[in-house]
Amino acid sequence: VAIAEVAKANSARFKAASHSRLGEAALRGYLVACGGFVVATTLAMLAYLAQTGLRGVLEAGIGQLVAGVVWKPEASSFGGFPLIAGTFASATGAIVLGAIPAVLGAVWLTEFAPEPVRRVYRRVMEVASAIPSVVYGWLALIYLVPLMDTIAHSLKGEDAPVSGVGLGSASVLLAIMVAPTVMLLSLDALARVPSALRDASAALGASSWQTAFRVSAPYAWRGLLVAVFFGFARAAGETMAVQMVIGGARRLPKESFLFSPTTTISAQIVMDMQDARPGTPQNNVLFSMALILLVVSVGVVLGTRALGRQGLK
Amino acid sequence: VSTAEPAVGRLHRTKRRGGSLEAGLKAALGVAASSIAVGYALTLLYLVARGAGKLGAIALYPVPVAGVDNEDAMRFLVAMCVFGILAWTMMAIIRWAATRAGRWTAEANRGGHVAVVAAAIGGALLARDHLPRFLVSLPSETTAGGGVGPEIFNTIYFAVLSTAITLPIGVGAAVYLARFAQSPRFVGVVRTALDTLASLPSIVYGLFGFLVFVVQMKAGYSLFAGAFVLALLNLPLVVGIAEESIHAVPQELDDASLALGATPIQTTLRITLPYAWPGILSAIVLSIGRVFAESAPLIMTAGTTVSRASAYSLNPFRGGETLAVHLWYVNSAGLAPDRVEVSAGTAAVLVVLVVLTNMVASRFARYGGALGSRAKKATK
Repeated sequence: VAIAEVAKANSARFKAASHSRLGEAALRGYLVACGGFVVATTLAMLAYLAQTGLRGVLEAGIGQLVAGVVWKPEASSFGGFPLIAGTFASATGAIVLGAIPAVLGAVWLTEFAPEPVRRVYRRVMEVASAIPSVVYGWLALIYLVPLMDTIAHSLKGEDAPVSGVGLGSASVLLAIMVAPTVMLLSLDALARVPSALRDASAALGASSWQTAFRVSAPYAWRGLLVAVFFGFARAAGETMAVQMVIGGARRLPKESFLFSPTTTISAQIVMDMQDARPGTPQNNVLFSMALILLVVSVGVVLGTRALGRQGLK
Repeated sequence: VSTAEPAVGRLHRTKRRGGSLEAGLKAALGVAASSIAVGYALTLLYLVARGAGKLGAIALYPVPVAGVDNEDAMRFLVAMCVFGILAWTMMAIIRWAATRAGRWTAEANRGGHVAVVAAAIGGALLARDHLPRFLVSLPSETTAGGGVGPEIFNTIYFAVLSTAITLPIGVGAAVYLARFAQSPRFVGVVRTALDTLASLPSIVYGLFGFLVFVVQMKAGYSLFAGAFVLALLNLPLVVGIAEESIHAVPQELDDASLALGATPIQTTLRITLPYAWPGILSAIVLSIGRVFAESAPLIMTAGTTVSRASAYSLNPFRGGETLAVHLWYVNSAGLAPDRVEVSAGTAAVLVVLVVLTNMVASRFARYGGALGSRAKKATK
């Protein structure tokens, strides 16, 4: 009797299920629409930016935008080279100062550190990578900039026209900001190294140092590279924090490469956006600069992602 | 080091240790790496300690400020959060000590939770006019003594608004990718789109939001525009983690559900999603953390001001700044003489919020996936 009852209930449930075909189809449609929404907004975003940006490129001329050295939108002078140079220089500095210690630290943590240290370390880095960039920027503004000012003056002389704001402060700040992200990604990459490889290396008589740097790190190199380039893209795209310490002078660093004010693409976009009326060339060229930034960071990230996927296979 | 080594390694312990040069290098690396982490940890502690003076300055606060809607409700909520967090911290300490002594029971646990809720509500009722002034008062452009009440409200409101957009779309896309994907080509397109979104600098999102909402729709700066842009920004993160946690649902569960006659959609709604829910929640909490942190896109879509009359208005089509934007604005355009103190307080509130969201996220993540306690309970 019981079996018959269960069978009856089940068939009823089955019928109920087949009755709600319409709901089923609607939900399936909804799921596909979610996927479609992601694609559509991405395309819309790229299209909008490209449209406005290319208008700016036509108005200013590509040569002027990339190689011109005077950025004065209000005087219709759109030389974007100082912005581009500032972005690349500060991001490169950040990678040199921040990514290398981060990757080495990740290697130490996975290969040599005891388990409790590893757990606490990871939590600290997770929180550090989630701290708002403006908080780092503010700290840099009140502590790093005066420090850099002292360093600059002790290097170049008391009366030299140098200051704490500029590429030096921006690079150090960006290094501090991207190091946690790079380290977390590196840890993930190193965690994917099969432990059989480490055991085999140990069985062959390698020391733990040799295992770490000749087996684990080389095995994970694609992942580590992805981490570093991701850090580069983040440093290049960072806006408000850099704006606070780079000085905001719309020119190449003049008196000293590290210690005089200059600017970056994203910092300048935020500053000039407040003055430029939409639809004018002054406004459109800002989108052109954003387009350059976009092409660079999307290219870097997609390229390294492809590399990383190959590595996983 | 040797405790974590496999048996094979222990046989060669002397060799594994390497020469004295290697041991020295290892120690140096260890010191350098640890000092990095200690540096970050000290920075975080310093930020909280530096702002604590500003936050702790409890002052009698004149009952409701004239002309500001919902001000008393906001003050009640802030009081509840403050007292709730205090009570919860105390309970956590007591629980830790009692667990150590082996005296922590299920009743004590229940009682503790009731006590936390009671303390939150009771504290809010009794002391809502004696709150830290900084947390409830309005910001001020030119004079000292400004607070961040509206900024806290906006920050949390942004989190709610953008989650309301990210959650349905992100989970839908993740379910589609993990369970219902039929055309490999479309899946490839969606994944490329997600990778592209993940790699865009946040300023680009800001420019997009500015073009669409402020320029094209002529809607001016609005919370809705900012929330929409933040939702887009968070989509790759949410879809990624949600998909991962759906993939972590054991296949047998789905198979069993299908074998019992449930349709694929029913299986997803009643089996897969509930099972993967903790992972999805932790993704949402992480994305809320990014809402707290983001500033550049919000400056371009939601503006940098707080209007006095609509400081606590629920209307999403007004402009407003968040804590992060306020921190930037105070330092680069503000004229207040106490801007260093205001910044310190704002930074401390931000750090506390971020640490709290991270704690909540990792708590949720612990229950999720194939290794979570929920799975252990189910397969015991």
